[in-house]
Amino acid sequence: MKKNVRKRYNFLSIMQRKKNSSIFKQIPLGFFYVPICLFFFSSCTPTRFVKPLEKKQNAIAANLGGPLIHFGKAVTPIPFTSVMYGRGITKSTTVFGSLHLTSLLFGNFQTDLGVCQQLYKNDSLKFGITINPAINMVYDKWNKNFRAWPQLDFNLYKDILKQRAFIYVGLTNWFELSSTKAHNEKQTNHILINPHIGLSYNTKKWGYTIEGKFLQMNKNNKPNVVDYIGIQQHGAVGIYLNFTRRF
Amino acid sequence: MRAILIITIAFIFSSCLRLDDNLYNLTDKITEYKLDNYTGENDFVLDNSYQIQDSLVHLFTLSSKTSSESVATTIRAIYIGSLSKIKTDTVIMYCHGNKWHMDFYWQRAKLLAHVSGKNKYGVLMIDYRGYGLSEGKPTEDGLYADVDAALQWLKINGLSNSRLIIYGFSMGTAPACELTSKPRSMTPSKIILEAPFASADVMANDGSGINMPGSFFTNLKIDNAEEIKTISQPFCWIQGTNDNFLNINTHGEVVYKNYKGLYQEAHRIDGADHGEIPVKMGFVNYLNTLSTFIKK
Repeated sequence: MKKNVRKRYNFLSIMQRKKNSSIFKQIPLGFFYVPICLFFFSSCTPTRFVKPLEKKQNAIAANLGGPLIHFGKAVTPIPFTSVMYGRGITKSTTVFGSLHLTSLLFGNFQTDLGVCQQLYKNDSLKFGITINPAINMVYDKWNKNFRAWPQLDFNLYKDILKQRAFIYVGLTNWFELSSTKAHNEKQTNHILINPHIGLSYNTKKWGYTIEGKFLQMNKNNKPNVVDYIGIQQHGAVGIYLNFTRRF
Repeated sequence: MRAILIITIAFIFSSCLRLDDNLYNLTDKITEYKLDNYTGENDFVLDNSYQIQDSLVHLFTLSSKTSSESVATTIRAIYIGSLSKIKTDTVIMYCHGNKWHMDFYWQRAKLLAHVSGKNKYGVLMIDYRGYGLSEGKPTEDGLYADVDAALQWLKINGLSNSRLIIYGFSMGTAPACELTSKPRSMTPSKIILEAPFASADVMANDGSGINMPGSFFTNLKIDNAEEIKTISQPFCWIQGTNDNFLNINTHGEVVYKNYKGLYQEAHRIDGADHGEIPVKMGFVNYLNTLSTFIKK
């Protein structure tokens, strides 16, 4: 019987068996290792413009960085990239638009359009407050899905080093307007709060910025398919770099 | 104007990155199946009372071909049970999860060979293409074709639809649902889903925190939450309440809620993580639960 079956189905071998005497031996190891660089396209670039450009000044910028995840045994940021163009309309208003390159590589056209508006400026104390209302839109060429999320950033900055640099803190807020999510389940996340802190150093034509974000601080990051590095199982810590050329 | 043109062209031709390939976990390479002698990572190891006699363990190869392929892929399979009894026995088609290979799942398959008593039911398990020693590269179509190749083998050996139980664990819930919802070679009489995922959309929603569709990242069409709606066969769902990989609320509960068939039962295992269900339930309780469902 066995020979016949071997012939028909190309049997490989009958195995050698281990005589295991331990009773229900437990080996507490994780079940899944999923090397996927996912998501948080919702938080994939630094705050756009913390300070408005000069009137009629133009700027292009490159952004790189993302949330930190466990990748195997290492910790790495998800490498999101984007490019941005901005123009100073007045000395306190800058409009901008960006293209998300990583998203583009996935076949998604993702852009955000917005305004950086100076709300308050104190020249003697060298600090100011700005807001960035924007809308982030994504369209994928595969299933023709389109999504848009309003965004509102707040920044408080303080000039240092004789105004060659500034530090800033703020909040990046995303708003989910949809009342449902996949399979018509109720959407419970309507505001994603991402506090950030950054340092920007500027020469006459160039700007260099490093920013840290606590992404989705109001959201528990477990359970999840992505192994984010957050704080007390909430959100994800993100690191971002920005290079700006003004002209 | 030039910039817009470049962006448009880039968008049209962009597609080099999708997460599809990265979703398959093939990191542990093996050169042979060791089964009981496997000493790598495992969720649990059964004691000697669960030993299966050598004559009832059959390793063999199958040919699998998707509808778009011209050449078949050779995949590896293990059948636990007497081949001559497939004509009369109930058989559990076990669709394993995303991790590595059958060596990792051997203990689970062996455990299933004890449902309703030692070797009462046959158990068939395969390594999907690209997993373990199976040839090829994993694809979604390949998953379905590979499981269907296994079902063809069972059919050739005399199994009838009424004696076929399909059991999917984690990623294996995709072929289990697909081949129950849209049967090919055989139609399972009952379906068991352990720690199922709902869909790529839910994975994207969970990962992003907002209503982001899965199509932004992957072309996978796996959608258990929708497919379960078309399944009428009795359905048993088991998931840990502490599943840190697939959220029980966003994945399992949605699949369970969407079922519209004849009979369903749910087992929410208190405190169990993704791969912990048999252990947290206790093997005897786990086996009794399955046995009761299958006999119902």
